[in-house]
Amino acid sequence: MKCRKCKAPAEVPLPSHNTAFCRDCFAAYFTGQVEKSIRRHGLINPGERVLVALSGGKDSLGLMLELSRMGFDVTGLHVDLGIPVSSLAARAKVEGFCTLHGLKLRVVELAKHGLPIPDVKKYINRPVCSACGKIKRHWFNRVALEEGFQVLATGHNLDDEVARLFANTLRWDAGYLSDQGPCLDAENGFARKIKPLYRLTEFETACYAFLNGIEIHTAPCPYSSGASFTGHKELWARLEYTSPGTKIAFYDGFLKRGRPAFAQVEQESGAPVAPCESCGSPTSTGTCGVCRLGIAVAERRAADPDRQ
Amino acid sequence: MITVFIEPDNETLTFERHNTVLMLQRKLNLRVNDALVIRGDKLLTPDCQLKDGDEIRIRKVMSTG
Repeated sequence: MKCRKCKAPAEVPLPSHNTAFCRDCFAAYFTGQVEKSIRRHGLINPGERVLVALSGGKDSLGLMLELSRMGFDVTGLHVDLGIPVSSLAARAKVEGFCTLHGLKLRVVELAKHGLPIPDVKKYINRPVCSACGKIKRHWFNRVALEEGFQVLATGHNLDDEVARLFANTLRWDAGYLSDQGPCLDAENGFARKIKPLYRLTEFETACYAFLNGIEIHTAPCPYSSGASFTGHKELWARLEYTSPGTKIAFYDGFLKRGRPAFAQVEQESGAPVAPCESCGSPTSTGTCGVCRLGIAVAERRAADPDRQ
Repeated sequence: MITVFIEPDNETLTFERHNTVLMLQRKLNLRVNDALVIRGDKLLTPDCQLKDGDEIRIRKVMSTG
Protein backbone atom coordinates (compact mmCIF):
# COMPACT_ATOMS: atom_id res chain seq x y z
CA MET A 1 0.00 0.00 0.00
CA LYS A 2 1.46 3.39 -0.99
CA CYS A 3 0.99 6.86 0.45
CA ARG A 4 -1.58 8.76 -1.57
CA LYS A 5 0.48 11.95 -1.44
CA CYS A 6 4.13 10.97 -1.86
CA LYS A 7 3.90 7.30 -2.99
CA ALA A 8 6.28 6.12 -0.21
CA PRO A 9 5.26 2.90 1.60
CA ALA A 10 2.14 3.70 3.65
CA GLU A 11 1.81 3.07 7.40
CA VAL A 12 -1.70 4.37 8.06
CA PRO A 13 -4.61 2.87 6.07
CA LEU A 14 -7.78 5.01 6.16
CA PRO A 15 -10.64 3.20 4.41
CA SER A 16 -13.10 5.96 5.42
CA HIS A 17 -11.15 8.35 3.20
CA ASN A 18 -10.33 5.64 0.64
CA THR A 19 -6.65 6.42 1.19
CA ALA A 20 -3.44 5.65 3.08
CA PHE A 21 -0.54 7.78 4.27
CA CYS A 22 3.15 7.41 5.15
CA ARG A 23 4.05 8.75 8.60
CA ASP A 24 5.13 12.22 7.38
CA CYS A 25 2.05 12.77 5.24
CA PHE A 26 -0.16 11.39 8.04
CA ALA A 27 1.34 13.99 10.41
CA ALA A 28 0.43 16.72 7.91
CA TYR A 29 -3.08 15.25 7.48
CA PHE A 30 -3.60 15.09 11.27
CA THR A 31 -2.49 18.71 11.76
CA GLY A 32 -4.70 19.74 8.84
CA GLN A 33 -7.77 18.13 10.43
CA VAL A 34 -7.14 19.87 13.77
CA GLU A 35 -6.55 23.22 12.02
CA LYS A 36 -9.75 22.75 10.04
CA SER A 37 -11.75 22.12 13.23
CA ILE A 38 -10.26 25.17 14.95
CA ARG A 39 -10.82 27.44 11.93
CA ARG A 40 -14.29 26.20 10.98
CA HIS A 41 -15.75 26.48 14.49
CA GLY A 42 -13.63 29.34 15.89
CA LEU A 43 -12.36 27.10 18.69
CA ILE A 44 -9.34 29.15 19.83
CA ASN A 45 -8.69 32.85 19.30
CA PRO A 46 -5.18 34.37 19.18
CA GLY A 47 -3.67 34.92 22.63
CA GLU A 48 -6.15 32.74 24.52
CA ARG A 49 -4.95 30.41 27.28
CA VAL A 50 -6.07 26.82 26.78
CA LEU A 51 -6.58 24.30 29.58
CA VAL A 52 -6.33 20.73 28.21
CA ALA A 53 -7.96 17.93 30.18
CA LEU A 54 -5.45 15.06 30.37
CA SER A 55 -6.53 11.53 31.29
CA GLY A 56 -3.28 9.86 30.23
CA GLY A 57 -4.85 8.24 27.16
CA LYS A 58 -3.91 8.61 23.51
CA ASP A 59 -6.47 11.28 22.70
CA SER A 60 -5.78 13.81 25.43
CA LEU A 61 -1.99 13.48 25.29
CA GLY A 62 -2.02 13.63 21.49
CA LEU A 63 -4.20 16.74 21.60
CA MET A 64 -1.90 18.44 24.09
CA LEU A 65 1.16 17.72 21.95
CA GLU A 66 -0.49 18.85 18.73
CA LEU A 67 -1.84 22.12 20.20
CA SER A 68 1.55 22.92 21.74
CA ARG A 69 3.27 22.28 18.38
CA MET A 70 0.75 24.58 16.72
CA GLY A 71 1.95 27.32 19.09
CA PHE A 72 -1.03 27.59 21.44
CA ASP A 73 -0.56 28.50 25.12
CA VAL A 74 -1.56 25.19 26.69
CA THR A 75 -1.64 23.89 30.26
CA GLY A 76 -2.63 20.34 31.15
CA LEU A 77 -5.17 19.47 33.86
CA HIS A 78 -5.25 15.96 35.30
CA VAL A 79 -7.96 14.90 37.72
CA ASP A 80 -6.60 12.15 39.98
CA LEU A 81 -9.66 9.97 40.61
CA GLY A 82 -8.14 8.15 43.60
CA ILE A 83 -8.78 4.64 42.20
CA PRO A 84 -6.15 2.25 43.56
CA VAL A 85 -3.48 1.21 41.00
CA SER A 86 -5.33 2.61 37.99
CA SER A 87 -5.16 6.30 38.98
CA LEU A 88 -1.52 6.06 40.04
CA ALA A 89 -0.60 4.62 36.65
CA ALA A 90 -2.60 7.21 34.69
CA ARG A 91 -1.16 10.10 36.66
CA ALA A 92 2.41 8.81 36.19
CA LYS A 93 1.90 8.77 32.40
CA VAL A 94 0.55 12.32 32.40
CA GLU A 95 3.33 13.66 34.60
CA GLY A 96 6.01 11.85 32.58
CA PHE A 97 4.57 13.19 29.31
CA CYS A 98 4.44 16.81 30.52
CA THR A 99 7.95 16.64 31.96
CA LEU A 100 9.33 15.13 28.73
CA HIS A 101 7.78 17.84 26.56
CA GLY A 102 8.23 20.73 29.00
CA LEU A 103 4.48 21.34 29.27
CA LYS A 104 2.66 22.96 32.20
CA LEU A 105 0.45 20.69 34.33
CA ARG A 106 -2.13 21.14 37.10
CA VAL A 107 -3.35 18.13 39.12
CA VAL A 108 -6.61 18.00 41.12
CA GLU A 109 -6.80 15.13 43.63
CA LEU A 110 -10.42 14.15 44.28
CA ALA A 111 -9.43 12.49 47.59
CA LYS A 112 -8.38 15.92 48.91
CA HIS A 113 -11.86 17.21 48.10
CA GLY A 114 -13.69 14.30 49.79
CA LEU A 115 -14.83 12.64 46.58
CA PRO A 116 -12.47 9.79 45.63
CA ILE A 117 -14.27 7.69 43.00
CA PRO A 118 -14.13 4.44 45.05
CA ASP A 119 -16.22 6.22 47.72
CA VAL A 120 -18.62 7.55 45.10
CA LYS A 121 -19.03 3.99 43.79
CA LYS A 122 -19.56 2.62 47.29
CA TYR A 123 -21.96 5.21 48.68
CA ILE A 124 -23.90 6.59 45.72
CA ASN A 125 -26.66 4.56 44.13
CA ARG A 126 -26.23 5.61 40.50
CA PRO A 127 -23.94 4.50 37.64
CA VAL A 128 -20.41 5.41 38.73
CA CYS A 129 -19.36 6.46 35.19
CA SER A 130 -22.07 9.11 35.15
CA ALA A 131 -21.09 10.52 38.57
CA CYS A 132 -17.38 10.38 37.70
CA GLY A 133 -17.98 12.27 34.44
CA LYS A 134 -19.98 14.91 36.27
CA ILE A 135 -17.23 15.40 38.87
CA LYS A 136 -14.50 15.64 36.23
CA ARG A 137 -16.46 18.18 34.17
CA HIS A 138 -17.07 20.19 37.33
CA TRP A 139 -13.32 20.42 38.07
CA PHE A 140 -12.36 21.11 34.47
CA ASN A 141 -14.70 24.09 34.41
CA ARG A 142 -13.85 25.28 37.90
CA VAL A 143 -10.08 25.30 37.32
CA ALA A 144 -10.54 26.96 33.92
CA LEU A 145 -12.58 29.81 35.42
CA GLU A 146 -10.68 30.22 38.68
CA GLU A 147 -7.28 30.26 36.97
CA GLY A 148 -8.10 32.50 34.02
CA PHE A 149 -8.25 30.09 31.09
CA GLN A 150 -10.55 31.20 28.29
CA VAL A 151 -10.79 27.75 26.71
CA LEU A 152 -11.15 24.20 28.02
CA ALA A 153 -10.08 21.55 25.48
CA THR A 154 -10.88 17.84 25.70
CA GLY A 155 -9.59 14.98 23.55
CA HIS A 156 -12.98 13.69 22.40
CA ASN A 157 -12.58 12.08 18.98
CA LEU A 158 -15.09 11.28 16.25
CA ASP A 159 -15.88 7.85 17.75
CA ASP A 160 -16.58 9.38 21.18
CA GLU A 161 -18.77 12.07 19.66
CA VAL A 162 -20.74 9.70 17.43
CA ALA A 163 -21.31 7.26 20.34
CA ARG A 164 -22.52 10.12 22.54
CA LEU A 165 -24.73 11.58 19.83
CA PHE A 166 -26.20 8.13 19.22
CA ALA A 167 -26.93 7.68 22.96
CA ASN A 168 -28.51 11.14 23.17
CA THR A 169 -30.61 10.38 20.09
CA LEU A 170 -31.80 7.03 21.46
CA ARG A 171 -33.19 8.98 24.45
CA TRP A 172 -34.23 12.01 22.33
CA ASP A 173 -32.53 14.07 24.99
CA ALA A 174 -33.27 17.57 23.72
CA GLY A 175 -31.07 19.24 26.35
CA TYR A 176 -27.92 17.40 25.29
CA LEU A 177 -28.84 17.43 21.59
CA SER A 178 -29.17 21.22 21.74
CA ASP A 179 -25.51 21.82 22.49
CA GLN A 180 -23.44 18.76 21.55
CA GLY A 181 -20.68 19.76 19.18
CA PRO A 182 -17.04 20.76 18.81
CA CYS A 183 -17.57 24.14 20.47
CA LEU A 184 -19.76 25.17 23.38
CA ASP A 185 -19.49 28.91 23.88
CA ALA A 186 -18.69 30.43 27.29
CA GLU A 187 -21.83 31.52 29.13
CA ASN A 188 -23.53 31.47 32.53
CA GLY A 189 -20.36 30.55 34.43
CA PHE A 190 -19.11 27.98 31.95
CA ALA A 191 -15.77 28.30 30.14
CA ARG A 192 -15.76 27.72 26.37
CA LYS A 193 -15.43 23.98 25.79
CA ILE A 194 -13.80 22.72 22.62
CA LYS A 195 -13.11 19.35 20.99
CA PRO A 196 -10.42 19.92 18.34
CA LEU A 197 -10.08 16.18 17.56
CA TYR A 198 -13.72 15.70 16.60
CA ARG A 199 -12.88 15.04 12.93
CA LEU A 200 -10.34 12.32 13.77
CA THR A 201 -11.15 8.71 14.65
CA GLU A 202 -9.82 6.71 17.54
CA PHE A 203 -7.63 4.77 15.08
CA GLU A 204 -6.12 8.02 13.81
CA THR A 205 -5.38 9.37 17.31
CA ALA A 206 -3.84 6.00 18.23
CA CYS A 207 -1.61 6.18 15.12
CA TYR A 208 -0.62 9.75 16.04
CA ALA A 209 0.32 8.72 19.60
CA PHE A 210 2.38 5.76 18.36
CA LEU A 211 4.17 7.67 15.60
CA ASN A 212 5.07 10.45 18.05
CA GLY A 213 6.36 8.06 20.69
CA ILE A 214 3.74 9.07 23.27
CA GLU A 215 3.65 6.68 26.24
CA ILE A 216 -0.02 6.23 27.02
CA HIS A 217 -2.12 4.74 29.79
CA THR A 218 -3.91 1.82 28.10
CA ALA A 219 -5.51 -0.14 30.93
CA PRO A 220 -9.29 0.32 30.97
CA CYS A 221 -10.88 1.87 34.02
CA PRO A 222 -11.65 -0.99 36.47
CA TYR A 223 -15.12 0.48 36.99
CA SER A 224 -16.12 0.93 33.34
CA SER A 225 -17.02 -2.64 32.35
CA GLY A 226 -20.44 -2.75 30.74
CA ALA A 227 -20.46 0.98 29.95
CA SER A 228 -23.06 1.53 27.25
CA PHE A 229 -20.72 3.74 25.17
CA THR A 230 -18.49 0.74 24.46
CA GLY A 231 -21.42 -1.16 22.96
CA HIS A 232 -22.43 1.87 20.89
CA LYS A 233 -18.87 2.23 19.57
CA GLU A 234 -18.81 -1.41 18.53
CA LEU A 235 -22.11 -0.96 16.69
CA TRP A 236 -20.76 2.11 14.85
CA ALA A 237 -17.49 0.35 14.01
CA ARG A 238 -19.56 -2.28 12.19
CA LEU A 239 -21.54 0.38 10.33
CA GLU A 240 -18.35 2.22 9.36
CA TYR A 241 -16.77 -1.01 8.13
CA THR A 242 -19.64 -1.78 5.78
CA SER A 243 -20.20 1.88 4.77
CA PRO A 244 -16.98 3.89 5.14
CA GLY A 245 -17.63 7.56 5.94
CA THR A 246 -20.89 6.94 7.83
CA LYS A 247 -19.64 8.35 11.15
CA ILE A 248 -18.50 11.75 9.91
CA ALA A 249 -21.60 12.05 7.69
CA PHE A 250 -23.88 11.35 10.69
CA TYR A 251 -22.04 13.81 12.91
CA ASP A 252 -21.61 16.60 10.35
CA GLY A 253 -25.25 16.21 9.34
CA PHE A 254 -26.31 16.61 12.96
CA LEU A 255 -24.22 19.78 13.35
CA LYS A 256 -25.73 21.29 10.21
CA ARG A 257 -29.35 20.17 10.45
CA GLY A 258 -30.08 18.60 13.86
CA ARG A 259 -28.42 20.74 16.49
CA PRO A 260 -29.92 24.10 15.39
CA ALA A 261 -33.43 22.67 15.69
CA PHE A 262 -32.82 21.27 19.18
CA ALA A 263 -31.07 24.48 20.25
CA GLN A 264 -34.20 26.44 19.34
CA VAL A 265 -36.45 24.13 21.38
CA GLU A 266 -34.10 24.30 24.37
CA GLN A 267 -33.91 28.10 24.23
CA GLU A 268 -37.67 28.18 24.73
CA SER A 269 -37.81 25.62 27.56
CA GLY A 270 -34.34 25.36 29.19
CA ALA A 271 -34.04 25.84 32.96
CA PRO A 272 -32.29 29.07 34.12
CA VAL A 273 -28.75 28.72 35.48
CA ALA A 274 -27.35 30.43 38.62
CA PRO A 275 -24.19 30.04 40.75
CA CYS A 276 -24.18 27.07 43.17
CA GLU A 277 -24.93 28.21 46.74
CA SER A 278 -21.93 26.22 47.96
CA CYS A 279 -19.12 26.38 45.38
CA GLY A 280 -20.27 29.04 42.90
CA SER A 281 -20.29 26.70 39.89
CA PRO A 282 -23.21 27.14 37.51
CA THR A 283 -26.29 25.04 38.24
CA SER A 284 -30.04 25.04 37.72
CA THR A 285 -30.76 23.42 41.08
CA GLY A 286 -29.54 25.78 43.85
CA THR A 287 -26.76 23.48 45.07
CA CYS A 288 -24.83 21.90 42.18
CA GLY A 289 -24.79 18.16 41.52
CA VAL A 290 -21.16 17.74 42.63
CA CYS A 291 -21.70 19.53 45.95
CA ARG A 292 -24.77 17.35 46.53
CA LEU A 293 -22.69 14.25 45.75
CA GLY A 294 -20.01 15.48 48.19
CA ILE A 295 -22.59 15.91 50.96
CA ALA A 296 -24.15 12.49 50.33
CA VAL A 297 -20.78 10.70 50.26
CA ALA A 298 -19.63 12.46 53.45
CA GLU A 299 -22.84 11.53 55.31
CA ARG A 300 -22.77 7.87 54.27
CA ARG A 301 -19.03 7.58 54.94
CA ALA A 302 -19.55 8.95 58.44
CA ALA A 303 -22.31 6.40 59.05
CA ASP A 304 -20.29 3.47 57.64
CA PRO A 305 -19.11 1.21 60.49
CA ASP A 306 -16.21 0.00 58.32
CA ARG A 307 -14.84 3.56 58.22
CA GLN A 308 -15.11 4.35 61.94
CA MET B 1 6.30 -18.97 13.36
CA ILE B 2 5.14 -15.47 14.31
CA THR B 3 4.47 -14.17 17.81
CA VAL B 4 1.60 -11.77 18.41
CA PHE B 5 1.23 -9.63 21.56
CA ILE B 6 -2.25 -8.21 22.04
CA GLU B 7 -2.80 -4.95 23.99
CA PRO B 8 -4.44 -4.02 26.27
CA ASP B 9 -5.44 -7.67 26.92
CA ASN B 10 -1.76 -8.65 27.58
CA GLU B 11 -2.27 -11.85 25.63
CA THR B 12 0.44 -13.58 23.61
CA LEU B 13 -0.37 -15.89 20.69
CA THR B 14 1.80 -17.78 18.24
CA PHE B 15 0.92 -18.78 14.69
CA GLU B 16 2.71 -21.39 12.65
CA ARG B 17 1.33 -20.18 9.36
CA HIS B 18 1.64 -16.58 8.31
CA ASN B 19 0.86 -14.57 5.27
CA THR B 20 -0.42 -11.00 5.32
CA VAL B 21 -1.51 -8.56 8.02
CA LEU B 22 -5.05 -8.72 6.65
CA MET B 23 -5.17 -12.49 7.19
CA LEU B 24 -3.87 -12.05 10.73
CA GLN B 25 -6.51 -9.41 11.44
CA ARG B 26 -9.22 -11.71 10.13
CA LYS B 27 -7.91 -14.54 12.28
CA LEU B 28 -8.14 -12.24 15.30
CA ASN B 29 -11.59 -11.04 14.25
CA LEU B 30 -10.40 -7.45 13.85
CA ARG B 31 -11.40 -4.91 11.21
CA VAL B 32 -8.70 -2.79 9.52
CA ASN B 33 -9.08 0.19 11.86
CA ASP B 34 -9.82 -1.74 15.07
CA ALA B 35 -6.15 -1.97 16.06
CA LEU B 36 -2.66 -0.79 15.22
CA VAL B 37 -0.47 -3.55 13.82
CA ILE B 38 3.09 -2.82 14.89
CA ARG B 39 6.38 -4.41 13.87
CA GLY B 40 9.36 -2.77 15.59
CA ASP B 41 8.89 0.98 15.19
CA LYS B 42 6.65 0.72 12.13
CA LEU B 43 2.93 0.44 11.54
CA LEU B 44 1.85 -2.20 9.05
CA THR B 45 -0.93 -1.87 6.49
CA PRO B 46 -3.22 -4.84 5.70
CA ASP B 47 -1.28 -5.82 2.55
CA CYS B 48 2.09 -6.14 4.36
CA GLN B 49 3.63 -9.62 4.30
CA LEU B 50 4.52 -11.27 7.61
CA LYS B 51 7.78 -13.19 7.90
CA ASP B 52 8.91 -16.16 9.93
CA GLY B 53 10.22 -14.93 13.30
CA ASP B 54 8.18 -11.69 13.24
CA GLU B 55 7.10 -10.24 16.57
CA ILE B 56 3.90 -8.33 16.01
CA ARG B 57 2.16 -6.06 18.49
CA ILE B 58 -1.60 -5.61 18.10
CA ARG B 59 -2.78 -2.48 19.93
CA LYS B 60 -6.57 -2.26 20.05
CA VAL B 61 -7.69 1.35 19.77
CA MET B 62 -11.20 1.42 21.25
CA SER B 63 -11.10 3.20 24.60
CA THR B 64 -13.50 1.80 27.13
CA GLY B 65 -13.63 4.54 29.71
